[in-house]
Amino acid sequence: MRSILKLIASVFLALNLIGCVKKEVLDDISLIEGIGFDYIDKKNILGTVVIPVYLPDQPPKSNTFSTKAEITKSILQDIQRQTADPIVTGSIEVLLFSKTLTEKLGILPLVDAFQRDPSIGSGLYLAMVDGETKELLAGQYGIRGTATYISKLMEHNIRNEDLPKSNLELFLTDFYQEGKTPFIPQLKQIGKNKMEINGISLLKHGKMVDLIEPKEMFFFKLLVDKYSEGMHLVKIDSGEAAVRSIHSSHNFELTKRNPTEVTIHIKVDGIINEFTGQELTPKTIEGLQKQFEKDIKKESLKLIKRFKDKQLDPIGFGHFVKTQTRNFDFNNWRKNQYKDLVVKIKADVKISESGVIE
Amino acid sequence: MNSNVPDSKKISPFLVFFLIHTMQSGVGILGFQRFIAKTAGYDAWMSIILSGLFVHILLWMMFKMLKIADGDMTSIHTFVLGKKIGKIFSSFFILYFCLFTVAILRSYIEVVQVWMFPELRTFWFALVFHILVIYIVFGGFRTVAGIAFFSIILPFYIAVLFVVIIPYADFTNLLPIFDHSVKELLLASRDMSFTLLGFETLLFFYPFIQNPERSKKWAHFGALYTTMLCIYLAILAFGFFPEAQLQKNIWPTLAMWKIIKLPFVERFEYIGVSNWGLVILPNICICLWCASRLAKQLFSIRQKTSVPAIAILCLIATSLISTRGQINILTDYTGKVGFYFNFIYVPLLFAGTLIAKKVRNREKHT
Repeated sequence: MRSILKLIASVFLALNLIGCVKKEVLDDISLIEGIGFDYIDKKNILGTVVIPVYLPDQPPKSNTFSTKAEITKSILQDIQRQTADPIVTGSIEVLLFSKTLTEKLGILPLVDAFQRDPSIGSGLYLAMVDGETKELLAGQYGIRGTATYISKLMEHNIRNEDLPKSNLELFLTDFYQEGKTPFIPQLKQIGKNKMEINGISLLKHGKMVDLIEPKEMFFFKLLVDKYSEGMHLVKIDSGEAAVRSIHSSHNFELTKRNPTEVTIHIKVDGIINEFTGQELTPKTIEGLQKQFEKDIKKESLKLIKRFKDKQLDPIGFGHFVKTQTRNFDFNNWRKNQYKDLVVKIKADVKISESGVIE
Repeated sequence: MNSNVPDSKKISPFLVFFLIHTMQSGVGILGFQRFIAKTAGYDAWMSIILSGLFVHILLWMMFKMLKIADGDMTSIHTFVLGKKIGKIFSSFFILYFCLFTVAILRSYIEVVQVWMFPELRTFWFALVFHILVIYIVFGGFRTVAGIAFFSIILPFYIAVLFVVIIPYADFTNLLPIFDHSVKELLLASRDMSFTLLGFETLLFFYPFIQNPERSKKWAHFGALYTTMLCIYLAILAFGFFPEAQLQKNIWPTLAMWKIIKLPFVERFEYIGVSNWGLVILPNICICLWCASRLAKQLFSIRQKTSVPAIAILCLIATSLISTRGQINILTDYTGKVGFYFNFIYVPLLFAGTLIAKKVRNREKHT
């Protein structure tokens, strides 16, 4: 008898505990999948959220709500007053910032809320929009909703193409890492329901300072990501070839001090996808390899020179040299050493296959 | 002297491994990386090894003392300080374990409140948790040891799951090695010792071990395993976070999970944090058991009455603490008290025991 009483008492208490916490049923909430921020003036920003509405037998329709506010969370507060169901931030996939906002205000104050909120994963994508985010988000893209479209777009470009790895976690890591400049991809709307990735924006203290053009992205990724893939067009006298790098890696080596000299070994494993010339002899392949190596050297050094002139370091030379030096002084590095840094590139391209025809 | 524990209530020596390890790994393991990196930067993993070594030395001392006094903490105190003063000293440990209980439970509830349910009421959660703990402690020490066993076996997969974050980690962060002075490393190992606390419960459950001689190696294995686990988590966190970012995260171990995304659950923390409840459950059971056992030995209060009484006290104390600042002060004090007890009082007591033994021997001979 007593044990039954005990059991009833404990079940009762357990039920009490469940009652303490607010429950959220998926059908009765609005899940925000993406947020965009636009610049209004020095104090105010315009926030736009995308909420997918699921309809029977149709692709989800993306609804957008916009409001003006001073900080991120108050945007959400204002949008609460516009939506039928309470909005929840748990499944955000993309954060977009307009170009003007990134140039004038910087994205740091806006990112804080997403870093602080435990319900938001750090795998979400950040991107800068060439234009206004409100306009971009107003379009209907793909069949899985706008935010999913954008995140899928970035995901496959990171995995197979020349977009370097980038998400909130990596942005924060680069931001907090001394001697490294963070970067985020740039999107542009190119039609009513179309968009493209058209560059990578480098951010210093959260503000945009430089842009990597699409044609430089392949080399940028080679320098920034430990392993990368992508496609490059190699031109030699006997024709043009599209070479897809299926596996490439880089290695840094500190070869000299005073002035600091870093050698980057870049290894590219590629296959030929297309060749416009007459015949693809071993000799032409040799020529293509040589030319590819030359291209890597030339383009990479050009990029590095540009970064040095602008005092940017997305490749992380500062961090690399720090890991090789005891009692490293970042102030001295930024002021003097980085300017005098000598970078040498040793490229090694191997074209292993050329498709099913000779 | 005090070996009046019947054999049927004793535990096998290998369970000491789980008891030691579970007491050491509580809530501290969720956020220790930040504290040790504050002073020693990313060389702090060496400090973990250092404090791990200290733990082994202290364990050795404890076993030595327990053997000489043949009993538990109270018998050591009686042996060294005499009956009356020994009793006064021993009674402090009831408070010590109450403090531990409150600190562990409150920090865990804080984690739940911050990471999962901000609306969760401290009191209700603590109440239900305490009822469970009382139930387990009523089952006797063997049940407590059983819970300790499961609390390590069941959540073990969490430790393995951390490999998911390796692609995001940059282990060159750890370079250059030896970028910090010996002093900084020592300071960090002091901070690390707060996390490794808990093995002192050995002093209280020693009489319950069958064949204590054979439990020695298991106790050392337990401590070694904790040290290894801490090094593993520290190196992962150091690779995952740059130094400035690590300092911003209150629970680096949990923050690393933010990158894990599973198809069936959006945030892995929900699984991790709820599993952590199982990890801290034996901690509180052991603390409460130790406190009630002391009450029984010192004031001859039956455990049936002392366990609920102590639990109610802890429950009240737990519900009174409400803000992050207060929790910080509480854990700070608990850490300090634990540090002074383990790393200063235990060696002193060890010396005292050796002296007392010499004196007694001489008395016997003369």
